Order: sequence, then structure tokens, then C-alpha cells
Amino acid sequence: MLEDKLLVWQFNRGSKDALRHIYEKYKNDLVTLAAALLTDVASAEDVVHDVFVCFIKSSERFRLTGSLKGYLATCVANSARNKNKARQKHLSYGLDEADVVSANSNSPNATAIFGEELRQLSSALSQLPYEQREVLLLHSYSGLKFRTIAGSLGISINTVQGRYRYAVDKLRSMLNGEVRK
Amino acid sequence: MRPTDDINRLIKQLQLKASASLDRRVHNDIDIALAESEKTESAHSKPNIWRIVMKNPVVKIAVAAAVVLVCLAGLHLWTGTKSGVALADVLAKVEQVQAFMYKMKMVMTGAMPGIPSMNREMDCTITTSNTYGTRWDITMTDPNGHGDKITEQFYVLPNRKVQIQIMPEQKKYMQMEFDGNCSTKQSSDDMLAKMKKQNNDPREMIKQIMNCKYTGLGRSEIDGIKVEGFRMTDPAFGGGVMEDANIVLWVDAEKWLPVRMEMDFKMGKQIQISSVIYDCQWDVSVDANEFEPIIPEGFTSIKAPSSTEDGAIEGLKSFADILGHYPKKLNIMDLAQEFMAFIQEFAATDVNTGEALQLSEKIKAAFKLKDEEELKELDKLPEEEKIKKIMEMLPEEEKVKINKIMEKKKIMEKIGDMTRQIQSLGRFYMTLVQEKKEPAYYGEFVTPADTDKVLLRWKTSDSEYRVIFGDLRAETVTPEELAELEAALPK
Repeated sequence: MLEDKLLVWQFNRGSKDALRHIYEKYKNDLVTLAAALLTDVASAEDVVHDVFVCFIKSSERFRLTGSLKGYLATCVANSARNKNKARQKHLSYGLDEADVVSANSNSPNATAIFGEELRQLSSALSQLPYEQREVLLLHSYSGLKFRTIAGSLGISINTVQGRYRYAVDKLRSMLNGEVRK
Repeated sequence: MRPTDDINRLIKQLQLKASASLDRRVHNDIDIALAESEKTESAHSKPNIWRIVMKNPVVKIAVAAAVVLVCLAGLHLWTGTKSGVALADVLAKVEQVQAFMYKMKMVMTGAMPGIPSMNREMDCTITTSNTYGTRWDITMTDPNGHGDKITEQFYVLPNRKVQIQIMPEQKKYMQMEFDGNCSTKQSSDDMLAKMKKQNNDPREMIKQIMNCKYTGLGRSEIDGIKVEGFRMTDPAFGGGVMEDANIVLWVDAEKWLPVRMEMDFKMGKQIQISSVIYDCQWDVSVDANEFEPIIPEGFTSIKAPSSTEDGAIEGLKSFADILGHYPKKLNIMDLAQEFMAFIQEFAATDVNTGEALQLSEKIKAAFKLKDEEELKELDKLPEEEKIKKIMEMLPEEEKVKINKIMEKKKIMEKIGDMTRQIQSLGRFYMTLVQEKKEPAYYGEFVTPADTDKVLLRWKTSDSEYRVIFGDLRAETVTPEELAELEAALPK
């Protein structure tokens, strides 16, 4: 936390090293979050790239009020949500369907991303509705509080908790089903 | 059924590595964006944050330290080696004195670097004994405002080869031993002799005046004593660190001992310092106990700044570690200004002053709930314990806020600790200037990545220079090698 505050202070002063340090420190977590949200590594990396481009531009005006990791995770989630909406739009208009990876599909990408060990989880996650998957990952993977997630999504904390509960129940059911097979 | 914890544990195991392609894209964007931002000067105006900073309790330590940084500069201006002729009788008389006492009042006015214009006063009683050393009893304006006074005791003890500073309000003390590890590789005795000179000893001031051009002011009378005056306005006084110096010495016309000395000078064109030495008592009897520092139980030790090459390197390293570059200049005023700008901007990043002040009121209110005895007991506890007890009195929501403020305070303490290292750096450079060792500093061009570029250099003898490079290694080089190194620097 102390290190992050000093890094942000240096970043505000235009320090390249600080920016590189922030990127190196959080890049894997952010790519993982985006990939789990979008079930597609290439799109995930695009999202993380976009987030850092915006972050770099905010150099002088950026003010850290919570945790840096939480802030970046929220940015990634917002960007991934926009990307997902764009995909849905493409799908609904029937454009470029061949290139579009469905966020709710059980595509090879979705199961292969995290390797065999986490294949079941990866596959089950990809079958959750996007909104539930988003809340679950932001809370369980990125460690954001329900209150923070509610604030960033502009919805009530009860809705966030509800989505989380549904996500966990469905995931549990799918994973147990998988085990029984 | 898998419990929720199991699902969370599984999710936490998800881990992907960013590809080399993403790394390249992001690093490339960092280079481009920052190169562009360097071209365009920031247009947004800085908020007037001084009020916020000064009111905030978390910056007290760092601000106090920065003020001390400049005060110390004022206290350590006296170095001199040669002797003159016109005041030789006075000096000879003074040097026969075994022990003496005098008082000194120093007033600093003007806008200190990063600090709004205000007066700061310091009153000292100084006792010097050839046998035991020197003791200073100092009362000065609290740099945190409100007109409060703080006290300090400061001892230079030659026999023990140690200098001790006791700060009762902070419950801290600082001890510096003369271990011979000094800037220009002098012996510990040389270092000690220098310390004696640096402590505003009137004998050194007389030597200083004797080294410079001065004029006679004729006879006058002070407190019924017939005196003769000498005025000195030579820019060379104080090793050239002081600007617009106007020094007046009044000497007892019969006894040839100093009665009063008035000094007015500027530092960095921003600070006006006026001091007067008065109430001089020559050949007083002193007791060894007066020179025995008493450090109360529970006082914690803080590391002393040292005007050494190592201290300077430590200062440069700390500065670069936190700010990402070396100080632009090393003279004490510019250094303090750059450092204060850093403290202000950092303090303003996420401090909610209103919240901090509200909490401070709540803490005070919580104290009032306690009866007098409990309050006294609480006050005796170490800082950490005291905070813990106070926290117990507050509701959960307030505890979270206080924890945030305490975290900020810890950062500021770290910065406060850095102040000591910056002091070392500034004092080291000032000593080089005063000793006319031809120092040159290139912090505006040289970065930590410039491993072979000269960052700071000074002369150690006719055939050698000492050089600190961009990577902070230090080497001794010949004048020819130095010329070659400096030719490689950006013009």
C-alpha cells in the first residue's frame, strides 16, 4: 500500500519507471481478470492495453483514493464490459459472427485459457451470465468489496450480493455436476 | 457440495501471464505518452494547498524537519582558518578565557522555501568551556504555527567526541559521534575542531571578521559599558553562503572583550536572518554537570545527519529513490525548496483535511470522557499504545478512518526520516562551498542511469578531485581525468 502510494506519487510527476513498475506489478492479475471475464486472451490483452493507455494519459490528474489494484481491476472490468456489449451488438446485428467469441459460449478458448487443472472452473465460469461472472470475479479474484463493486456498477449492494450468490450457486452446481460425470 | 470458500480458493488460483506482445505495446505507449507530455508543459495551475498541508497533523513531522534543515544552515555558517591583524588583541584576550556564557536571539523572516511568510524566532543561551565543551539551551517558534514554542538542548562534548541534541517535545534525541568518517578524510580531531568552529563561537566570528575587510565604527556605550565598534560587509564572510551580510561587533574598550554582536544577512534572497549576541559573560565558573546531557527514559534515538561523503551519497540515493531523479541544485535553500514541494504535493494526494481535523476533535472529546488521573496515565504510554487506547474509545467506522490517517502518517514519518539525509547532503555541499573546494554539481543533467557521468565533484588536493558519479559510486581522479569527464557532460 505504501509502495503503491509512492509509485502513484512518482507517476503523477511523470516518472516512466513508476509507470513501468505499476504495469509489471499488476499486469498478470489484470490479464487474468480480463481473460476470465471475456473468455478470450487476445481480447483480454486488448482491454489491459486500453486501460493502461488511459491510465498513462491520466498521469497528472490521477488521484488514488483506495487501493491501486482495486482501481485498475475496476477499470479492466469497465473496459471488458464495454467490449462485451460491443460483441453482443455485433451478434444481434449478425455482423462478423465468425470473428466474435460469445461471452457465454463454452468455446475452446474458454476452457483452454487456464490450463487443464482449472479447466472445469474455467468452463463453468464461461457459462455464467456476464453480470454474475463480473461480480464474482471482482469480489473473489480482485478482492473488491461489494460496496465498491456496487458503486462502480451503479447498482445497489443488494443486487451485487444477489448476483454473487447466484454465481456461486450456479458454479457450485456446475462443478459438482462435472465431478459426478 | 463445495463450500463457497472452496470456490473462492479455486478462483484465486486463476493465473495468466501477460504476453511479450502486450508488454511491448504497453512499454511503447509509456515511452510515447511521456515523451509527448515532456514536450508540452503542464498548463494546469497548482492548487493553493499550503493551508491544507500546514493544518494537517500528518505533515507536522516533515515540515518541522524541513524548518530545522534551514535553521541548521543558519547555525553552521561559521568556519574560518586564517587569522588577521586588526582585531588580534581582542581575539588574543578571548582565547585566554576558559569558560564563557552569552545569549543569542535569531529572527528569521520572509518566505521559507515552500512555507508562507512568517517570523520564526530562536532564543539561545550558550555556555562554552575549554574543558567540558559547549551547551546550547534553545527555545524556538514551533514551525507548525500557532505561536507555540519548542525547546532543545544541544551539546558538543570534545572529550567524549560526541554531539548530542535532545528534543523534549518530540521525546527524541540525536547523537553523532566523531568517528573520523568525515567529508574530506580528516581525522576525528579535525572534525571535532571544525564542529567547535561551526557552533557560532564568538571566537570564530572574530576570526571571520578579521579575515574580511572591516571598518571601525568608533566609540559608543552599551549598558553603561564604553565600547568600540567594527562593521563588516564583505561578501566573503561566512564562506560566501550568506548574502548582503552586515555584521557589527561591539568590544569593551577597556577590557577588549566582545559585548555585543549584531548580524543581518540573507539566504537565497528569500530569507532574512537577523541575530544578536548579547549578555556576554567572560570567565564564568562552570560545573561539569552542566555539560552532562540527561536523556529522559523513554526518549527514542534518531539518526544524526552527517556532513560526510557517505551522508551525501545516502541523501542523493534517498532523493532519487523517492522522486526518481536527483535534486536540481544542492545549495541549502534550493534543496529545501525542492524537498518541500515534494512534501506538499505528496501530502495533497489523498488527504482529507476536514476529516482529519474532525477526527482530531473526536479524539479530544474522547479524552475528555476520561477523568484526570486516567488521562495522565494514558499520556505516559508510548505513542503506539496511546493510539491503541484511543482507538478503543471510538466507534468502528472512526477506527477505519483513523487507520487510514495513521497509514498516511507512517509515510510522512518515512519522508521525515528522509529529511535527515537531505540535511546531510545540504550540509556536506555547504561545507565544500565554505572550504572553497571547488564543488560542481550536475543534478539537472545527470540521472541515476548515467553511470559514468559526473554528478558531484570537489577538489581534495592540487592533484586530485573526488567525484560522485550518476550511479553514486565515488572515485578520486586527476584534474586531467576530471576535465575529460566533464567534457562529456551535456552543455
